[in-house]
Amino acid sequence: MQPTSELGGSALQARTFGSMGTVISLTVPAGAVPGTAGGEGGLDAASAAVERVFAGLDETFSLYRPDSEASRLARGELSLRDSSAAMRDRYAEALSWRLRTEGAFSPERPDGVLDLSGLIKGYAIGQAGEALRSRRITDWCLNAGGDVLVMGSPVPGSGTAWAAGVVDPMDRSALLAAYELGGPGTRCALATSGSAERGDHIWAAGAGSRTAGSSGAGFAQVSVAAADIVTADVLATAIVAGGTAMLHRATDGWEIDVLAVRRNGELLATPGFRA
Amino acid sequence: MRTRAAVSAALASAGILIAGWQSGVHVADTGSSVASAAAGTTGATGSSGSSGTSSSSGTSDSTASSGASGAGTTGASAKAVGTYPGSVVQTRFGSVQVQITVQAGKITDVTALQLTDAERKSVQISNRAAPLLRDEVLQAQSADVQTISGATVTSDAYLNSLQAALDAANL
Repeated sequence: MQPTSELGGSALQARTFGSMGTVISLTVPAGAVPGTAGGEGGLDAASAAVERVFAGLDETFSLYRPDSEASRLARGELSLRDSSAAMRDRYAEALSWRLRTEGAFSPERPDGVLDLSGLIKGYAIGQAGEALRSRRITDWCLNAGGDVLVMGSPVPGSGTAWAAGVVDPMDRSALLAAYELGGPGTRCALATSGSAERGDHIWAAGAGSRTAGSSGAGFAQVSVAAADIVTADVLATAIVAGGTAMLHRATDGWEIDVLAVRRNGELLATPGFRA
Repeated sequence: MRTRAAVSAALASAGILIAGWQSGVHVADTGSSVASAAAGTTGATGSSGSSGTSSSSGTSDSTASSGASGAGTTGASAKAVGTYPGSVVQTRFGSVQVQITVQAGKITDVTALQLTDAERKSVQISNRAAPLLRDEVLQAQSADVQTISGATVTSDAYLNSLQAALDAANL
């Protein structure tokens, strides 16, 4: 028996796998997955189901795979009209987000290539969550490269929220803040975007090829908590790209909490992040 | 006589205002400053508001539009002046009642008369992100949390991440 982290006398079990260029972690309270009595076969099966969701979407949407549908679209070998329903649905969703964020979130790179990467990871997390629900697993935490979705509690039946930490962008070995996800609250998703990391697909709105990070007043990191992971992820991306104006539009227009770190280290936060 | 005529005209237009209000007439979508002021006052979520707040912003909107159109249709000679309280509506922030101030047939102010939560305490309606110091946010040590959010970590960076340490403890 491996030692596990203690939490009110309970313990957690985790499984990890790689997909979409990052690592996905599934964490559940020990014994919370049906079929785990005495063994952990249930958790392995649940983790495999989550992995299939990510692998399936990555196969279609990855621009790092030359043979993916997204890559064929990017090269002009395929038109949107002839693309799969899944592709068109996500494209439509991305366009809707572009409208709602007034362009701060965009599914197109400055060079015009369609890039749904900013949406697909969040979508995959949400779909993986559905896969867990359909297996009647009601207490879990999914973390895909720093974007988090939870259901239930780390201590089943207790109503205790999952405690999520937010990395300090100035010192990635330390935590800047904590946020309670799930439990009695309605905010089950927490996503963080930064302006320096590869793979964040963030471009300053309407600024051509200039990246969001080049403006001095911009944000080094933005965390958004919302009821669903796509909203959290898209708005975190949009705020990094759109700056303070987008931050205020987001807090006025959506039920979210935001913790934003300026490049000079200053913090802006909604009351939900306040101690 | 002119005074009396003006007063009765004002009363008439006020009546139209209130009638329009109470019937809940929703004229056109008003992108006016009144609508945005009402949105700010009630903390409603603006144009992209969720269903939970549509009732409050709808009320505000109809207030604004019925007020504006009411004053407009009574003619240029009618100068509605006064303050008019709206009905109490339930929002996700609790009960909200707004009052409009009308001058020269135009809504010049919208104020919140009542804004309470279920425990009848006044509530903070603004969810604006405000500057704060590092020791003012909820603090945590990595030992206290079950998961960690950060800007996307690559597979390589994961190995040295706090999340990897948490996962290793639970594998």
